[in-house]
Amino acid sequence: MMLRYALARIAVALALIWAVVTIVFLVIHVVPGDPAELLLAQGGVAPDPAAVAELREKLGLDQPILTQYLAYVCGLLRGDLGSSLLDDHSVAEEIALHLPRTLELILAAGLIATMLGLPLGTIAALRTGRPIDRILSAAAGLGLSVPVFVVGTLAVLVFAQKLRLVPAGGFVPFTRDPAQHLLLLLMPAATIAVGLGAVVFRMTRTSVLEVLRRDYVRTAHAKGLSARRIVMHHVIRNALIPVVTVLALHMGSLLGGTVLVEFVFNWPGLSGDLVRAVEQRDYPEVVGIVLVISVVLVIINLVVDLLYAVIDPRVRHG
Amino acid sequence: MSMNVSRRSVLAGAAALPFLRMRGARAATPGTMTFGLSSYPPSIQPWANTGTAAATVKLMIHRGLTGFAPDGSLRAELAESWAPEGTTAWVFKLRDATFQNGEKVTSADVKWTIEQVAGEKSTAYLRTQMQSIDKIETPDDKTVRFVMKEPVAILPVTLANFHMPIVSRVSDPKALVGAGPFTIKAQERGVAIDLEAFPKYYKPGLPKLKAIRAVAYADENLRVAALQAGDVDLIEYVPWQAMETISKDTNLSLDAVDGPYMYLVFNATKPPFDDARVRRAVAHAIKREEVVKAAFFGRGSRLAHLPILKTSEFFNPEYENGWAHDPALAKKLLSEAGHADGFGCSLLSTAQYGMHKDTAEVVQQNLAAIGIRAELNLPDWATRVSIGNKGQYDLAVMGDAADSNDPDGIAKAIDGSLSAAYTRSFGLKTSKITALIKAGSAEFDRDKRKAIYKELEALAIEETPIVGVAWRSQGYAMQKRVSGFKNRPGALTFYSGTTFEDVSVG
Repeated sequence: MMLRYALARIAVALALIWAVVTIVFLVIHVVPGDPAELLLAQGGVAPDPAAVAELREKLGLDQPILTQYLAYVCGLLRGDLGSSLLDDHSVAEEIALHLPRTLELILAAGLIATMLGLPLGTIAALRTGRPIDRILSAAAGLGLSVPVFVVGTLAVLVFAQKLRLVPAGGFVPFTRDPAQHLLLLLMPAATIAVGLGAVVFRMTRTSVLEVLRRDYVRTAHAKGLSARRIVMHHVIRNALIPVVTVLALHMGSLLGGTVLVEFVFNWPGLSGDLVRAVEQRDYPEVVGIVLVISVVLVIINLVVDLLYAVIDPRVRHG
Repeated sequence: MSMNVSRRSVLAGAAALPFLRMRGARAATPGTMTFGLSSYPPSIQPWANTGTAAATVKLMIHRGLTGFAPDGSLRAELAESWAPEGTTAWVFKLRDATFQNGEKVTSADVKWTIEQVAGEKSTAYLRTQMQSIDKIETPDDKTVRFVMKEPVAILPVTLANFHMPIVSRVSDPKALVGAGPFTIKAQERGVAIDLEAFPKYYKPGLPKLKAIRAVAYADENLRVAALQAGDVDLIEYVPWQAMETISKDTNLSLDAVDGPYMYLVFNATKPPFDDARVRRAVAHAIKREEVVKAAFFGRGSRLAHLPILKTSEFFNPEYENGWAHDPALAKKLLSEAGHADGFGCSLLSTAQYGMHKDTAEVVQQNLAAIGIRAELNLPDWATRVSIGNKGQYDLAVMGDAADSNDPDGIAKAIDGSLSAAYTRSFGLKTSKITALIKAGSAEFDRDKRKAIYKELEALAIEETPIVGVAWRSQGYAMQKRVSGFKNRPGALTFYSGTTFEDVSVG
């Protein structure tokens, strides 16, 4: 029964990925804007129509859209994501270059957010209604409401321009200079962590408050366990489950959503690459990136679905 | 191994933060310059136009037969001299120069280069111009003779274009080799390009720098922040709003010139803009100072005539105010054209670039004052280009720079005989203007050329194939320790990459 359920979910996931690829392929081809024209019209100059026609032919853009779509899908089935229309660079290589950078940014932000949000959320819950709770809750509200580009711009202004503690932005591969790489990662990750940390803080606070009201916590108190032991071993551990779920979902959604931070800090990740590809109408690059993001998100959802089925048998029978 | 983290150790760690700054993060490594590019070049193909950032990099690694001196005049590069032979031939004498693959620069390389550019499958920017060459003769290794299909007086200027470098004919087609002052050492796609000095560059003692690291900063504010923080030595495309602050900073200097310009183009395939009187009415409705203030923070100047620089010998002072703001005249012209009550139209621009959007908003208000109800259409740049090329608009805002400071450089904006393009009015017939442009480019006598372009400007003021709106300031900013950099004048500002051979840091 479990195997059938798993196969059914995988089939749905594959259908979903195919649908996303098809929709994105068609939409990006239908919206106005010709990559050949754009490539030869950089800097606001008029390209020679003959040169545009040559380039369109070279890039296969003169073919009917159905032919282009079938060729793309055939390529996909062979594991080929195609080449960039801009410089013939392999899309797969491009994604392999940019995806780890974005994942690293998201993971670093998640780490900072957890390191701040978890303890502070717990403290706020344990001191509920007191000044420290109010101050932290207000700060979390601020963290959630201030747009990420404002936080980023202020961070550059203060820490790079005024205090000169860190570079204004940029990227150096870890293999080339590990210390510089981490230094450049610090500000963009911290900027994302402001909002993400606020989410973790709020979830932790709510969850801890809820657990504190549970019978087993009351029992632990009655048994004479120390408050520290109760919080560490009974409260936080149980309160973590919803926090981790929410954190994972938020981090997943960041995969295509770090564009502003990448832009503000000149971090060459996948989101920025996607925006550049859309602006340039670099069709294979757009579809390839969206495909990869979809696959990652679908896999996360698939794993969650399967885990639910393992935890709760009613799901697979329902 | 256990590790105790005390409050004191945390504070000590925080205090050490400033020393965490790696040397590489700061500019000013001896002999090396860090340059903040406005974008990462999509491609550095030598003859295709892939943007000004790419052009700047191309000027580091390539050289053409001719080039532009700091004052904007034409100067020798790979050719040490040139001269016309009659009106239909040019002879270029090459100097002793070496390509970065160690091969000598010869007339055969020049011939091969021109043939690639003019080729049938070419996507080169200057393909049409190079196709005007009928025959290329190479009597010896150092002499190239171009036989033209018809007289072309401006060939040496065209050959100075940064899209026309001479490339070694024995290059790998995917990595064409030039003879410029720097070679590409490494590229991190989307991030940075590392260049190092080419030791056999043909100019003795140049380049002065050992290496350049060109780092792409797409966000203009971050580019400025990187300069102010000392991460980079020099930046291009200084945003207008930052020019004041930079010019007051004692550690920085600003080098800005008026070169590129904003203008309006029309769809002349249908009423009302098929009527020259209506186009001229639009020209007289624009308050250009407002555009300069709103779109460029006052960093630019009004442009009420054809985009020919005041410093140019072809500038005609009598037409400087040919399209001056005059709402009464604008209304009179509209009335004469049968639009006394005004009309509605679309005004195409783009929301992707602030200067285009801001210009469009001011133009919209100015047009409303004479009864023209313009409805803004502000798609992204790709869509704007596509719509413009198809003529799906009535009136549109455009920004561009001439190909050179020669008046022929503005032909691409006003010559209606050229193919339909978003950079010029759609479907506008300009037979007289076209004839004058052709006559100007074929005329070898300086005074006769001046007379031709004077007649052309007078005609253009009447016909109004475009409407000049504003010159915009194009700036480079740098640390005070950078010397030798010079922003080229006018339209040649984008040729300032040539200057990197003279730059030194420290």
